[in-house]
Amino acid sequence: MNLIHGKRMDAEESKRELARIDESVLQSLASGRLTRESVIAACDALSKKLNGRAYLPALVSLGMKPEKAETELAEYRRMLSREYLESWVGREFGERADRSFQPMDFGRPVRQTWAPLGVLLHIAAGNADALPAFSVIEGLLTENVNIVKLPGGGDELSLRILEELIEAEPRIAGKVFVFDVPSSDLAAMERLAGVADAIVVWGGDAAVRAVRSMAKPDTRIVEWGHKISFAYVSGGAAAESDLRELAKHVCETNQLLCSSCQGIYVDTDSFGQVVAFAERFYPILERAAERDPLPDDPFRAAQATLSLYTEELEAANTNKRVFRGKSCGVVAYDDSELMPSHTFRSVWVRPLPGERILRTLKPYKSRLQTAALVCGAGETRELEEALVTAGVVRITTGGGMSAHYCGMPHDGEFALRRYMKIVSYENRPVIPRTKEE
Amino acid sequence: MKDKTKLFFGKNPYSAKDDGAFLRAVRENVRFHAEHNPKYAQILEHCEFSLDELTDEADLYKIPVLPTLYFKRNELFTVPKEKLVLEATSSGTKGQKSVVGFDRQSMLYGVGAAARLFAYHGMISALATNYIVLGFEPDGRLGLGAAKTAYGVTKFAPALHRVYALKKTEHGHAENREGVLDALLRYEKQGLPVRLVGFPAYLHILMIELRRRDISLRLHGRSMVILGGGWKQFSGEAIDNDSLFALVRETLGIARENCLEFFSAAEHPLPYCKCKNGCFHAPVYSRVIVRDAETLLPVPNGTPGILSFVSPLVTSMPLVSVMTDDIAVLHGGGGCGCGIQTPCFELLGRANARGVHTCAATAAELTGGKRT
Repeated sequence: MNLIHGKRMDAEESKRELARIDESVLQSLASGRLTRESVIAACDALSKKLNGRAYLPALVSLGMKPEKAETELAEYRRMLSREYLESWVGREFGERADRSFQPMDFGRPVRQTWAPLGVLLHIAAGNADALPAFSVIEGLLTENVNIVKLPGGGDELSLRILEELIEAEPRIAGKVFVFDVPSSDLAAMERLAGVADAIVVWGGDAAVRAVRSMAKPDTRIVEWGHKISFAYVSGGAAAESDLRELAKHVCETNQLLCSSCQGIYVDTDSFGQVVAFAERFYPILERAAERDPLPDDPFRAAQATLSLYTEELEAANTNKRVFRGKSCGVVAYDDSELMPSHTFRSVWVRPLPGERILRTLKPYKSRLQTAALVCGAGETRELEEALVTAGVVRITTGGGMSAHYCGMPHDGEFALRRYMKIVSYENRPVIPRTKEE
Repeated sequence: MKDKTKLFFGKNPYSAKDDGAFLRAVRENVRFHAEHNPKYAQILEHCEFSLDELTDEADLYKIPVLPTLYFKRNELFTVPKEKLVLEATSSGTKGQKSVVGFDRQSMLYGVGAAARLFAYHGMISALATNYIVLGFEPDGRLGLGAAKTAYGVTKFAPALHRVYALKKTEHGHAENREGVLDALLRYEKQGLPVRLVGFPAYLHILMIELRRRDISLRLHGRSMVILGGGWKQFSGEAIDNDSLFALVRETLGIARENCLEFFSAAEHPLPYCKCKNGCFHAPVYSRVIVRDAETLLPVPNGTPGILSFVSPLVTSMPLVSVMTDDIAVLHGGGGCGCGIQTPCFELLGRANARGVHTCAATAAELTGGKRT
């Protein structure tokens, strides 16, 4: 379903809108910006409205499990509140300092202001919960005009959120154009891309590659690609409590997030120590998995079992050790390769001596996201530096890998800043009016 | 060898009679691989399996079962490669492909078994036949098992002409929609039987195209549709086969009973034909075991689990106990009512975490980003 000018439209109507998108966008730009303050007010109004009684059944009817719907709803309430949004914007932009100043090498005062890029085309691959809507909210907070290409299969939740925002602030209708066109419709995609100043793409390499091939050289691409995260354990005596927290995080996220721990590097070059650590971590992970059981699903379980069981067979002729139970698995390898896990509570353990961190991880550069660092206080600074030099952009404790705080950078960037530009103005002399006039 | 010959050259491929030849042939096959394939012997030892445990058919599940994923990541040949007469790769939906190879003897038994099964299902004919292959045109460079199977099926009735939905070109395979449509119209005029063999997704595309162009044909009464393989990348458009066959009847005039569906795997090259009640029956050449998705132990009939097979067919590789990545349920013999008495399975889908979205980088993305 398409959502254009605040109205749901069928494919036929949306085709007509697609044909005149250039004109619609120009009109929207000419009508002036919708201020950040108005957007925050609309979000806050929605946040206050999102009570469980009215909205839980709606989320469940869209296919969300009741427990998940409850936590999601609480999350939406928090993230759409005025308090949250103002704090976030403050963190990214500081005080809105458009006061003029005198550059050291320039004869006249100037001022610099943040301005929207103009028109954003949001492309969200897959159906992560309401991702398109939240991408648009970022676009609105930066006072941009937003075009959305919905993921295949549409996204009813995103449409509902946007409709609620339009209800709270009708002027949002003129700033959001949602098209439900398939990525295979290249002509439509190119038309949408053609009017955008920047394309915001969420998804894996395939999605990013498709956007790069479609975008003209004058169009900025803002990529939110897939990332990988891991834990690094140094010092023989990693505290039991840190490992318990890490195991809990593995079970909570099922290793599906870009911030999820896929595996654990141990600061050693001895395979024996890697195996010893795996042997120690396995029962901790097993206890965490038993406390937080997954729903019965032979399809999911079979995928995990087939992967781990294959590893177990390979261990007959190779140097690896597999600890596998009903609910989880830990595989000890003798190489330092950075790999995704088999997901759903299956963790790899690999050797990586501190002095080889940079050399080993540098090739993965922009893929790296979070590293949980479990080490003695004396080593922290040195290990942090090695990880950051290799490309890691977030360092946490064992339990904090998928925690989120207001104003947290996203993949090493302030997200809102990517949707804005800085405009420099040369101040004109102001001629004071005299009383006589 | 006597037992295997008896098993594979018996007349009725679905005979429910068994004098222990199957178990003896399996024991012999495991022993052969263990003796000639040190890597396989290591696996048996690692899994603490000994042939002494195999005294009854109920023990077959104990033979260490090798998942298709194992063959995607490891080579495991028992005979030297120069003895292989046929190599095939699985179609590798997710990028990884298994390489399997068969020696002369395995081929001989395999083709014999397939011929008997195809004859049972009325597929062997002496009438000159025109073929629409709904899949890849065989290509020297491409070892796809699916291409070979589809091409192989065109041997069971003398082929007058073949046209391919995916035609080979200088730059790989290209869609050949117009070529297929032209051929169909020509074939109808010729008035000879036509067989459409291959992937269901391509058949569906073809049916939609014919409908769009308002073409309705009446092909020769002995024409057939023979499908194998899944919907692959078309899964979003998958429709149930009953609707697909209704479309076939409407557009091509081929009756439901002349539409056959097969299940097969590169790692388990025996054809399983779907009966009129939607079940894939085990032939005498194999046993079907559905395993618990966590413990890999056999589950009771009727419970979903991972589909696995035991067969003494192949000597070139230890494919004696293999596990697919399909989820299935097993039904006991005689219960389905189609007349075939052997146990049968129903496919429920691929092992996969459904409806799950991840933003973690995949292995391909990580290795693609790595400078080597």
